[in-house]
Amino acid sequence: MGGGRQRRRGPRDLSPTVILDRRTLWTQNAVPGQAVYGESLRKFSGREHRRWDPTRSKLGAAMLRTRDDPADLLPEPGTSLLYLGAGHGTSISHLHDHLCGQGNRFGGRLVAVDLAPRCLRELTHMAASRPGLVPVLGDARQHSAWGILVPRKVDWLFQDVAQAGQVDMFVAACRRFLNVGGQGLLSLKAASERWTGEGEAALFAGVEEQLVAAGFEVVESIELTGYEDNHRLYHVTMKEA
Amino acid sequence: MWLWYDWQAAAVVNEEGHLLDVLVCGGHLTEHAAVERLRTVARGELIPEALTLLERFPDATPRVHGDADLPDAAYPLPSSEAMTLADRAALRLAVEGVQQAASDPDRRLEHLVRGGDELRASHLTMEARLVEWAGLFYPLVRVTDRRAFVRAVANAESPAALAVDLEADVPEILPDEGEWRSLQEWAADTDRAQGRLDRLEHALRTLTLSHLPSVSALVGPLLAARLCVEAHGRQRLARLPSGTVQVLGAEKAFFQHLKTGSSPPKHGHIFMHPWISRSPRWVRGKIARMLAGKISIAARLDAFGGEPWSEDDVAKVDAQVEALRAANQQPPSRRR
Repeated sequence: MGGGRQRRRGPRDLSPTVILDRRTLWTQNAVPGQAVYGESLRKFSGREHRRWDPTRSKLGAAMLRTRDDPADLLPEPGTSLLYLGAGHGTSISHLHDHLCGQGNRFGGRLVAVDLAPRCLRELTHMAASRPGLVPVLGDARQHSAWGILVPRKVDWLFQDVAQAGQVDMFVAACRRFLNVGGQGLLSLKAASERWTGEGEAALFAGVEEQLVAAGFEVVESIELTGYEDNHRLYHVTMKEA
Repeated sequence: MWLWYDWQAAAVVNEEGHLLDVLVCGGHLTEHAAVERLRTVARGELIPEALTLLERFPDATPRVHGDADLPDAAYPLPSSEAMTLADRAALRLAVEGVQQAASDPDRRLEHLVRGGDELRASHLTMEARLVEWAGLFYPLVRVTDRRAFVRAVANAESPAALAVDLEADVPEILPDEGEWRSLQEWAADTDRAQGRLDRLEHALRTLTLSHLPSVSALVGPLLAARLCVEAHGRQRLARLPSGTVQVLGAEKAFFQHLKTGSSPPKHGHIFMHPWISRSPRWVRGKIARMLAGKISIAARLDAFGGEPWSEDDVAKVDAQVEALRAANQQPPSRRR
């Protein structure tokens, strides 16, 4: 298809709750009247939407930067997904809008893992008003500690951890939690990896090779420069068990 | 044969993936019970159902759900009600985990040290301004004890009374009512800032003495706290090589050294210690290197539950410092 470059007039629905309006993304607010991180609120056909700030969410940035259809990056509403490295919950809040909706009307389940108590503090506040969001305080690498909260494999997994060894972590997590044919998104921070002296391009190419060797199909590697420098988001699908 | 378990059920499964026995937790679980079960599994221990099955099948090897060893089988995964309960329990666990963070002295130390720095900086500027400002009206007063001077201004009833208090002449040019009030309030604020700073440092000392007893005994609680904060926690301080401890706080000079090849820093925060700052320039590096090594040892004692250092141990280090000073009384010759 490659329809991303077509000129479209007016807002376009990427999902029942996500709108692409020219170069801005909006999600229908699951908690109307409340902004999560100071983003702007606006009504589209009578329903309140929150602006998805691409400079604060790598997923949002990737959706604006992808050459494919941005809707492909989103999970199916009402499914279960796993989010490693939840951070302060910017992306999480929008994902929740999309996946669970107001009062979890779609019946989604979003397991968000982060190591830092400071980040979890925000998430636990958010979880109180957003059913379907399950914050977990734990190391994304220690599956045994929280893995039982994801009893069945998921179709969509996101990782944004900014630690050395991000790719290995991602591969391990996908093997353990991602269905065959499921979508995996890896946000890679170049500065967290060991500097090899060959430059960022070599590092990013090496990561791609590593992902292919681990049995993934790399759908796209999305350059985030401008929104988040020295970052790249890899969109992969799980090929084999 | 494997013993499969998660937080609500356990099953015995053979290599082919046939379930030999299944035990799902009966009755209605409370949220509290679910929290306990999640915690049990996170610790790597077995839930009651798994223990029962292990008695029936002692040869089965326990594996938590999702382990790579387990064969594919129709495991008794949680129902949707059980999942709802698990989600509530997970939220409770997360909240408890977040609350636990407050019990981490490393995080509190960080606020105490940084807050103390901010308070000291603002107090010093306020005090300096007061001395200059009030000094305009009492040009002949020499301020030796700044703290007493601040108090005197804060408590004086009038400019004339202050002059008596300071044993100076009544000034010829007097501040008007408004300025005098402002001056006095400024002095009162400065005095209060001093009190806050003292209390904060006291709290910092108390916390550090219990958190890092050995390092505190060696270099004093204030420096110990600063090193711990700079290293981002006691565990990390204990794991740092002592070469890093030596230059903690001298990052700018250190990276300048790596980048341009200028001479490396000999000491970071530990320079504050009189063993280094009161030593001749040419032994400072030697003492810093030795002291950093000792700090590393002390930090490891504190972090991994060793016997804290006594005064005798510190006296030994002191003797070593003296020996280093004695062995290097003259500056090294400049010859190359």
